[in-house]
Amino acid sequence: MVTNTKEVKALDFDISRSTEEERKLSFKDEFCIGCGICEKVCPVEAIELGDIGAIVRNEADVPKICIDEDKCVLCGMCSVGCPVDALDFTVDGESIKDMDVYPHYVSSAEIDDETCIYCKACETACPREAITIARDLPDRAKLVTGEIEIDKETCIDCGICEEMCPADAITLEHKIPTSADPTVSSDINVDKDKCVYCLICRKVCPVDAIKAVCRTCSYGEYDLDPAAAEIEGSSFIDDDLCVRCGWCQEICPVDAAKVKKPFKGELTIDQDKCTSCGACVDICPCDVLSFPQPEEPGQIVDKVFKDEKYCIYCGACGNVCPVEAITVKRTDVDYTPTKSKSWKNKMESLKT
Amino acid sequence: MPRHIVSGLKYLTAVELVRNGLSQKEVAETLDVDRSTISHYLNGRNLSWSSIEIAETITQMCPKDFLLLTYALLDDLEKTRIMVKTCSKSKWDAIVKDSCIACGICVDTCLMKAIVLENLKARIDSDWCCGCLICRDNCPTNSIEILEVENGY
Repeated sequence: MVTNTKEVKALDFDISRSTEEERKLSFKDEFCIGCGICEKVCPVEAIELGDIGAIVRNEADVPKICIDEDKCVLCGMCSVGCPVDALDFTVDGESIKDMDVYPHYVSSAEIDDETCIYCKACETACPREAITIARDLPDRAKLVTGEIEIDKETCIDCGICEEMCPADAITLEHKIPTSADPTVSSDINVDKDKCVYCLICRKVCPVDAIKAVCRTCSYGEYDLDPAAAEIEGSSFIDDDLCVRCGWCQEICPVDAAKVKKPFKGELTIDQDKCTSCGACVDICPCDVLSFPQPEEPGQIVDKVFKDEKYCIYCGACGNVCPVEAITVKRTDVDYTPTKSKSWKNKMESLKT
Repeated sequence: MPRHIVSGLKYLTAVELVRNGLSQKEVAETLDVDRSTISHYLNGRNLSWSSIEIAETITQMCPKDFLLLTYALLDDLEKTRIMVKTCSKSKWDAIVKDSCIACGICVDTCLMKAIVLENLKARIDSDWCCGCLICRDNCPTNSIEILEVENGY
């Protein structure tokens, strides 16, 4: 008889079977959002969703799902059902995500580098920390132009300019005076890469030792190259972590981020049943749920606030709610066509 | 003695292959046996009738027993497949229902290598199916039906 082997690595595990071909299911706990879709789609009831509320809130060292390797038939349905990349299924080393015969969710998240201004708002907002924006800022010296000179003969080494320079461009070589050299500084220098010609040093110098002029103020920007002010950068979305919640799209000031969600649906919270325990707020992978703050003392607010535009209808909140106050309905599932009736039925069964 | 029974099975297969139009040379190659041995077999020499009788009894057992016993005696999957295919007198038709999830357990358990997955569904080659029902018994979704469409006994 053919048997499966299970290999456990901390919270992750692999289940595989090698005969005619090698079939392997890999679970990565860090990507699991606790939605429980895998448990629902498994045709042989081999998957059990753990007590994810307790696991997430206590940061317990327990995997979020458990798969019985003796029951698992390695069909790959859980992997296709997983809305994130927590379950990967490979046949002879090739992920079924790359095989057209298997259905896949139609979902994506992209940032258009042509439009992106690298403001990093998406990076900050992303609830999964899936976005990295790398940016090359221009040389400050190329954005200003002017002249500055310190008359070292007149300078009394008081250090006032050094203290006041907002760009930290002036440095004195401080020292203790000796009888041979009775000065408090051996030298004073201006770093012209840092100086922005704000002229504060000139204005505060008690002995008028500094001569400085800002050419931009007097003559405009004729000797500045506008190209030098351009910001270069690149964006990266980690597909393993991204849950297609849409925060990046909503927060982007220039509409550079586009997100396509796999599910449409409805999220309802019964405010009467809710006990404000916060399990849903903690488990939600998309920061949809939060506790509202009253604007004035005594104002009665909802127990839990939801902003459905970020919801992916994964159902994790409904799984953890101890009083069944949350209902997540999936009305539409967008997936690529498949010739298999059983797989199509399975994808359709995700609609609730 | 197992070796004698194996000879009996080889004899039966050789006779059947010749009846199917193969030359002695081809039979020898298929069964990986000396041409002279095949020649002796076909001329009724070097083989006791009791070995042939036992071998015949094995071929007439239920398909699963025939297959597993032959495999146990030969310990060679390729030859087992050829012998079982050649000596089996029944024809089988397989129906794979739409409930098939393409888990591939049937592919992995089929000793006759008669099953492939196509478009997330198992496809069973009737030419190679020996009716052992191992696939049907292991299918987690009960999606396989094997029907005997011709009985040659």
